Amino acid sequence: MSRFFNSLRDGVGFDLLLVGAAMLFLIALAGAPLIYNVLMSFQQVDMFTLGALMRPFVGFDNYVAVVRQPEFWLVTRNTLIFVVGSMTGQFVLGFALALFFAQKFPGAATIRGLFLVSWVMPGLVVGAIWSWILAGDFGVLNVILRSLGLIQSNIFWKSDPNFSIWAVIIANIWLGLAFNMLLLSVGLAAIPRDLYEAAELDGANAFQRFWTITLPMMRSTIGAVLSLGLIGTLQQFDLFPALTEGGPANTSNVAGYWSWQLSFQLYDFAKGATVSVMMFLLVLIASVVYVRSTRHEVRG
Amino acid sequence: MTAQIEIRNVDKHYGSFHALKNIDLVIEKGSFVALVGPSGCGKSTLLRAIAGLESISSGELRIAGESMTGVPPRRRDVAMVFQSYALYPHMTVEENLTYSLRLHGVGKAEARQKAAEVAATTGLSLLLGRYPRQLSGGQRQRVAMGRAIIRNPKAFLFDEPLSNLDAALRVQMRKEIRALHDRLGATSVYVTHDQIEAMTMADWVVVMRDGVIEQQGRPLDLYDRPVNRFVAGFIGSPAMNFLPARMAEDGKAILLDGSGGERIALARPAEPGRAVVAGMRPEHLRIAPGDSNFHFTVGAVESTGSATYLSSDDGALQLVQSDRTDLNPGDRVGLEIDPAHVHLFDPETGTSI
Amino acid sequence: MTRPYTPWLLVTVALALAAIYLFPLYWMYVTSLKSGSEIFANPPTFWPRSPDPSVYPAVWVRRTMPVYLWNSVVIASGVTAITVILGTGCAYVLARYRNGWIDVGLFCVLMLQVLPASVMITPLFVGFNQVGLLGSPRLAVVLAAAAKAMPFFVVLVRATFMSVPRELEEAALVDGNSRIGAFFFIVLPLARNGILVCAILTFMSAFGEYIYSKSIIQDPGLQPASVGLSGFLGPNSTDWNSIMAYSAIYVTPILAIFVLLQRRIVAGLTSGALK
Repeated sequence: MSRFFNSLRDGVGFDLLLVGAAMLFLIALAGAPLIYNVLMSFQQVDMFTLGALMRPFVGFDNYVAVVRQPEFWLVTRNTLIFVVGSMTGQFVLGFALALFFAQKFPGAATIRGLFLVSWVMPGLVVGAIWSWILAGDFGVLNVILRSLGLIQSNIFWKSDPNFSIWAVIIANIWLGLAFNMLLLSVGLAAIPRDLYEAAELDGANAFQRFWTITLPMMRSTIGAVLSLGLIGTLQQFDLFPALTEGGPANTSNVAGYWSWQLSFQLYDFAKGATVSVMMFLLVLIASVVYVRSTRHEVRG
Repeated sequence: MTAQIEIRNVDKHYGSFHALKNIDLVIEKGSFVALVGPSGCGKSTLLRAIAGLESISSGELRIAGESMTGVPPRRRDVAMVFQSYALYPHMTVEENLTYSLRLHGVGKAEARQKAAEVAATTGLSLLLGRYPRQLSGGQRQRVAMGRAIIRNPKAFLFDEPLSNLDAALRVQMRKEIRALHDRLGATSVYVTHDQIEAMTMADWVVVMRDGVIEQQGRPLDLYDRPVNRFVAGFIGSPAMNFLPARMAEDGKAILLDGSGGERIALARPAEPGRAVVAGMRPEHLRIAPGDSNFHFTVGAVESTGSATYLSSDDGALQLVQSDRTDLNPGDRVGLEIDPAHVHLFDPETGTSI
Repeated sequence: MTRPYTPWLLVTVALALAAIYLFPLYWMYVTSLKSGSEIFANPPTFWPRSPDPSVYPAVWVRRTMPVYLWNSVVIASGVTAITVILGTGCAYVLARYRNGWIDVGLFCVLMLQVLPASVMITPLFVGFNQVGLLGSPRLAVVLAAAAKAMPFFVVLVRATFMSVPRELEEAALVDGNSRIGAFFFIVLPLARNGILVCAILTFMSAFGEYIYSKSIIQDPGLQPASVGLSGFLGPNSTDWNSIMAYSAIYVTPILAIFVLLQRRIVAGLTSGALK
């Protein structure tokens, strides 16, 4: 027995205790719920059986019911558009900013740091501000677009079925831009300056240097950024209730929000669990890609 | 001899820092020119200005007769071997070699053939498929040189390429670089802080300090006739001894300061009574077989087997000889030196008298 | 390589880009200070004609902000406490060794980082209901949000521990400390700054927690400020004056902390995020 306490103080026991405590907590509050989610997706869950653990087993009925829901394909399409649109915007703009701030000028690091403010702000507040900016009649974005001549009449970002998903995408791009820019900046900084000088002497112009030196050497960083971006976009929730609540008529509804609606507005926990299991599979694929991309480093 | 690179009245400022001051230098076609000096003297800045990686604030720079004002580095047709080699880590050796050719639209087959030729010249033939991280330091250095050679540029610029190698490899690579230069009939500008490299490799040595060219000339000219104290102390290893002295009344000898009243004869007469700094190289000082007017007390005796270093007890004087010695610390012994090997410098300006 | 552009031109462009990016924040403050009708002016004014901060005390009272903000603080503190207490030790062990077990542990932590809250909320709610935790809803939210925050915290703090040289701990052990002693008296103080920054990040993130709070806490007296905001925010909102004022009050403390600690935060994120 004393050996046990000794190892707690001095040896492996100490390490196990430290890791074990955290792991137990995470297993109880993250691991177990995941499995429970899968379990529930195969059960019939209603108000009567909510308190029980063993509920009637219904096989794949929930999955079939979810796919048969009229909004299923719309939500799937929206999720795809949301992910691709957000990631493209965040990545391209983030990369452009990272390239700009990679140049040397006084205050570059500080000014670049300002962009991270979006990362610490509550998602709901960001949604609130963008909701006001994107308002149809009095939102400032429409005013700016009209004065630049890009549009003739106001776009009703939040209430027009054609644009509602784009309203959330715009807000999400603003939100995720900084993180992309930061990670890409780190990757850019790791490329030695004299590689660019050597390339320039060899005859490469700016575009050729970017294409043959910068991009190939950033391959693993780009992989990490894209997969983290995918994971982050799939995690986005707060913007939806703030901006569109998935509407109008589910035109801006995505898998994450829909799952929550099913559980907490329609009280159909079985379907909510089912949709979130489907989402989880998507997230799993993204994280496998992330882990693989960070394993391979191309460094001289 | 035609001038391949002409640098006239070149100045460079970094904000308020004056990095290059009125540099005048002509590099002949086919010559091997070394730029030497202590850290911060501006030699790398000058090299990079030739490459176009730094701009010049004023003055003129011409390569093969054409003015380089406003010409970006990629159009100057010069090749540079960097201190860190700057090999592209994500490309194989062959791809590194053919990079500039591919940029200029040379066909794949032709590029590969050229790469094979250069690889044969630099001993890289078996390494073409490897990546830089799989190569040793010396091999990476050769790839860096091969990358420069394949372009057949107007000039080769070397920025301290051997400083990352160990001593034995450095000696070997020195010979190889010079041999390559001769074989290719190239024009090379070589920056180093090691004066031995400069002396052994170059046709023409340029000594710089604080942005100014202190002296330029053939290596042995700098050794025999340094124009000032700095060059005299920089060239030659071990460094020249400097002793404060005064001219004797008859102007034919100097009297060393200090109680001994040591007297050393001069080859040429100079102004009597004047205060001077006497420079004498350790290899020129010899133990006097008989009596002498010039003494020192041995402080330390160090022998490497091939040479013996004797230092004075106050550390002011050092002499080196190839023979073994019987002397011990504490011995007082007479010295002699060929008057032609005594250099005189002005105590304030440092210029040679 | 010398650039043709002077540094001052670059600084100007950089400031302009930052200004564009931070415009939404500016717009929030400006809208809250405008009078009710000026908000709907067409074309909109970019500076309030006569700044009117009276909406702030009004929103403070009408929206019971003291209660909401207090709940936010309670929840954020709980989340930070649990995360720091459990996560620090875990990060320390994961940084100290490198073997198969550790790789498994790291992998699990990494995987847990990716879970969206919308995936977790359904089973968590049902599970909390079954064990009766819904009776203490803020505690339930704290537990759920801590589980969400912990993996990222562990990853960042692990990077901090890896920068503490192993030799220092070994010297402490040779000097007679037990492992516990070495950890608490040598390693921990050296990692203190990194841990502090990560703890502050965790707090700021939990301060804005929404989905768990909204789903689990029904009693308005226990809801945090995020849920309070959602009460009068939606696709058809019109009371923008109050919404912006509420948001400003809610967000300004976080912004202030961020501005003060910005450099440390950026350094902490860059060192840990790319592992």
